[in-house]
Amino acid sequence: MKPASAPSTGVAETSPARREAALRLAGQDLVVGYDDRTVIDGLSVDIPSGQLTVIIGPNACGKSTLLRTLGRLLKPRGGSVLLDGELLHELPPRRVAQRLGVLPQSPLVPEGVTVADLVARGRQPHQRWWQQWSPADQEAVQAALADADITELADRPVEALSGGQRQRVWIAMALAQQTEALLLDEPTTFLDVAHQVEVLRLMRRLQQGGRTVVAVLHELNQAARYADHVIAMKHGRIVASGPPADVITAPLITEVFALACTVIPCPLTATPLVIPNP
Amino acid sequence: MIVSVGPASFVLPRRTLLVTLGLGAVLVAAMIAAVSLGTMTVPPGDVVRSLLTGGTDYDLVVRELRWPRVVLGAACGAAFGLGGALIQSVARNPLSSPDVIGVTQGAGLAATIALTSGMAYQLIAPAAMAGGLLAAVVVFAFGARTGFAANRFVLAGVAVAFALRAGIEVVMSSAETIDALRAQIWLIGSLNGRGYEEAGALGLVLLLALPLLLWAARALRTSALDDDTARALGARPAARRVAVGALGVVLAAAATAQVGAVDFVALVAPQVARRLSRAERPPLAASALAGAALVVAADLAARLLLAPTQLPVGVLTAGIGGPYLVYLLIRRRR
Ligand SMILES: Nc1ncnc2c1ncn2[C@@H]1O[C@H](COP(=O)(O)OP(=O)(O)OP(=O)(O)O)[C@@H](O)[C@H]1O
Ligand SMILES: [Mg+2]
Repeated sequence: MKPASAPSTGVAETSPARREAALRLAGQDLVVGYDDRTVIDGLSVDIPSGQLTVIIGPNACGKSTLLRTLGRLLKPRGGSVLLDGELLHELPPRRVAQRLGVLPQSPLVPEGVTVADLVARGRQPHQRWWQQWSPADQEAVQAALADADITELADRPVEALSGGQRQRVWIAMALAQQTEALLLDEPTTFLDVAHQVEVLRLMRRLQQGGRTVVAVLHELNQAARYADHVIAMKHGRIVASGPPADVITAPLITEVFALACTVIPCPLTATPLVIPNP
Repeated sequence: MIVSVGPASFVLPRRTLLVTLGLGAVLVAAMIAAVSLGTMTVPPGDVVRSLLTGGTDYDLVVRELRWPRVVLGAACGAAFGLGGALIQSVARNPLSSPDVIGVTQGAGLAATIALTSGMAYQLIAPAAMAGGLLAAVVVFAFGARTGFAANRFVLAGVAVAFALRAGIEVVMSSAETIDALRAQIWLIGSLNGRGYEEAGALGLVLLLALPLLLWAARALRTSALDDDTARALGARPAARRVAVGALGVVLAAAATAQVGAVDFVALVAPQVARRLSRAERPPLAASALAGAALVVAADLAARLLLAPTQLPVGVLTAGIGGPYLVYLLIRRRR
């Protein structure tokens, strides 16, 4: 993650063909649950292509569940997820993984794996059993390490890193996958404020490079500033969606989070700024 | 280190490569020592000459008496090492080796029933194999229900192993003394009086498993990751677990069927290989070599310790493996 002005290295480069037809991702009448509990019941969502979408909502409202369903990590009980009009859960997993990257909320850190090795696993969907490493793999990994600002950690074991460093390793792994769409579940958790902003700017750069980016964020003011499109969820349903200025309003935030607040325009960017009432 | 041949390219971690070569050298040394030492000592040079060209004074001892047993030890050790490595990798737990989760005990119970019910000698190995597979199916069914959550899978396995061991006791105590004794001897794995016939059967299993092992080596690259992350990379964690786990169980059960319960090799060998190569899961080739070297060396020690009495090799591996299991348990607590 370099300053916003720096050209992004490789990661944001999509082939022109891809840029014209950005990937379309949508969920229709989704019913998703665990064991005997239904978390999401009849939800439909359209992810705007080539935009940066942010999902907000209180804890346990089903944000991760929705993201995992859209990312093919979880099979819905009812309804369907469509990737460019095709049923996502019936496509070959490897082909999906070449186009759709997902960063789960709290991945398990494997023991005895170095940063470079873990990030390199993001290349898995692009490799064949007889072609396990190519110059393109090398380039993608180097660029991902640089974009996540962890080049100097490359040879360290992942289990010996701080929470924020680990988080950036997982982001780098998703970047190395070089997919047209990225679904990131709370990519800024564990990060200090400067690294949070760097990740947000990186997401913005990826979007400008032609990718579809979806992120779950808890920091509303960051969502307001960086998102093109905001989806607000509560109790497994979508309460509102649209541009930040339309969604992040005092009545809606008060309703969704049960928190009395005031929303003013940010003095720097004029995007909504949420201030909890004293 | 990257090895590329034309458009093909493979990644070989340098350390794993060195460890594999090192363990291969240890295996060769152990095999030569095992042929060389005994009631009659054969100089290592003559061992090699006799094996390669023949025509030495030691041909009978080397080629007829000792070498077949050493080959069998290496083959069953390799099968145990591979079986353990595969099962430990999919369960992400060093404790989930076939002798801890009931595969060995299932084979043992089936063999005990076969031996005490006067079944034909040729049917004992197939019966043991079937018993091991059946036990694995039960344990895997438990594991599948909990998504193979590491600890519950192992606990289910340990419980099944105990139940099967109790079953063995019941069968034995109601059998004729002579049959019970034969079963007892079978249960402690031994290479005594065995050789090419058993080694050939195991060799065939290993040969058939080879292409599957090549596939498994790659499928396991995402096995250390959690299921969500693995799925995000296009893997199918559940299908992989069943397939790789089944391959591991077949290898371990096949080895048990031929030589009896040579305990703990499947537990220890993959962990030795893993620790030496500092990898996140046991490397397959190194695990096979470590298992082979371990059994050959343990069998040599078993022959020499109380010579001229020959201890069953299973006694020795259990003697090494038991304390190692305790050590692993203590380490995992922390
Ligand atoms: N693996 C699981 N098994 C059973 N229930 C689960 C599982 N994962 C989530 N849930 C339940 O589903 C509901 C929605 O969880 P989800 O993780 O989608 O929430 P979230 O909006 O991402 O919350 P957070 O902001 O805390 O991450 C919660 O009630 C949670 O307890
Ligand atoms: Mg969540």
